[in-house]
Amino acid sequence: MESDELLIQPSSAEPIYRQIAQQLRRLIASGRLSPGADLPSVRDVAGRHAINPMTVSRAYGQLESEGLLERRRGKGMVVAALRGRAQSADRRLQQLQPQLDELARQARELGLPAESVLDRLRVLLETDQ
Amino acid sequence: MNATSAPGTIESRDFVLICRNIHKRFDGRKVLDDVSFSIAKGAVLGLLGRNGAGKTTLMRILVGLLMPESGSATVLDEPALRMSDAAKTRLGYVPQKPESLNWMTVENMLQFVGSFYPRWDSEYMWNSLMRWNISPSQRLAKLSPGERQRVALIRVLASCPELLILDEPASALDPVARRDFLREIALRAGEAGTSVLFSTHIVSDLERIASHVCFLHEGKLLLDTAMDDLKETHVRLSVSREAAVGLSKPLPGEIARHRRPDGGMSIVLTRKDLTPWPAAATASGATFEAMNLEDLFIEITDHPGVAWYPR
Repeated sequence: MESDELLIQPSSAEPIYRQIAQQLRRLIASGRLSPGADLPSVRDVAGRHAINPMTVSRAYGQLESEGLLERRRGKGMVVAALRGRAQSADRRLQQLQPQLDELARQARELGLPAESVLDRLRVLLETDQ
Repeated sequence: MNATSAPGTIESRDFVLICRNIHKRFDGRKVLDDVSFSIAKGAVLGLLGRNGAGKTTLMRILVGLLMPESGSATVLDEPALRMSDAAKTRLGYVPQKPESLNWMTVENMLQFVGSFYPRWDSEYMWNSLMRWNISPSQRLAKLSPGERQRVALIRVLASCPELLILDEPASALDPVARRDFLREIALRAGEAGTSVLFSTHIVSDLERIASHVCFLHEGKLLLDTAMDDLKETHVRLSVSREAAVGLSKPLPGEIARHRRPDGGMSIVLTRKDLTPWPAAATASGATFEAMNLEDLFIEITDHPGVAWYPR
């Protein structure tokens, strides 16, 4: 994986360490990052995006404690073996829960009926990007 | 945990800068009003404030160029006003408008200044001049403001300081040079353990590299917290005109509120860690909005006067 593949938005309301952790969780859950895959070094990510290395370490550390990443001697961080495999649909859906909560909340605030929101979402999901 | 929290519980040697109860007046006008904070080793503290907030005055006091009316500043374990020459070589300061030694050429100035620093990095100096397209034989006075700022940054970074104090360091830089500079600062903090204090009003720069952030507003320090925590522990509540009537008292954790032109209210709430927001805040007619740093800065500093409470 290359540092460029991460999308960092400093002015988002979401802290940068969370942006990194969330993107990596998704890449791992979908199997796009497979077990054993190398992660870019903290220095590389920090240098590429001009962000504080401690922020990158914090994201990596969090995923390490979740068992998604592991530290290999002399190799840096790699995607962990067991839980790194593509997860069940349930687990992957769990990754989307915060975004779904937010979407549901905003839809309620706008007074939109569930059907119309679901229709729109379905169109988005079924359209090839 | 907060690297800028009051020491006392923590050994002072973990901090490269400690200032306590700094007051300063110019012509009777309060410029700094009881400012206290500290910087831990390796921390990057962004000081955010509007023009005239007192940032430059504070920095000049911290590097010993200005005497506070009261209060104390300790820099690298020495009083700011009486720093030894040895301590000064470990401190790097770039003022907002670097002007010293302007009659010299770039190369002469850097060689001259470099001779005072035991850890001077000539290789870094030459590489940076090349990367930033600065002719070593050019006279400093002839440089554009952006080039002059770049030379000042090269000078201070080549001295490999343990503490960097930078007053609006990126204001005259173009976007490419600015990104380059931010990268250098971020990596030095992360790898060499360099501590940094920098003032800015370019909020996104601060969001990239700062580990901690302080708001200085009208001479007072309003906020002092770790960058990541800041975004997770502050939220804006938008309250409709109808719901505003029910919120006649401050909510738990409220730090700012103002009335909107439509009769509704904006309220900024803060919480400790990730505890749930108060129930009163989730009343109908109120919506939560996450805030980035700029939103929060504006909410806190753009609404002078007393908070407004419906009767």
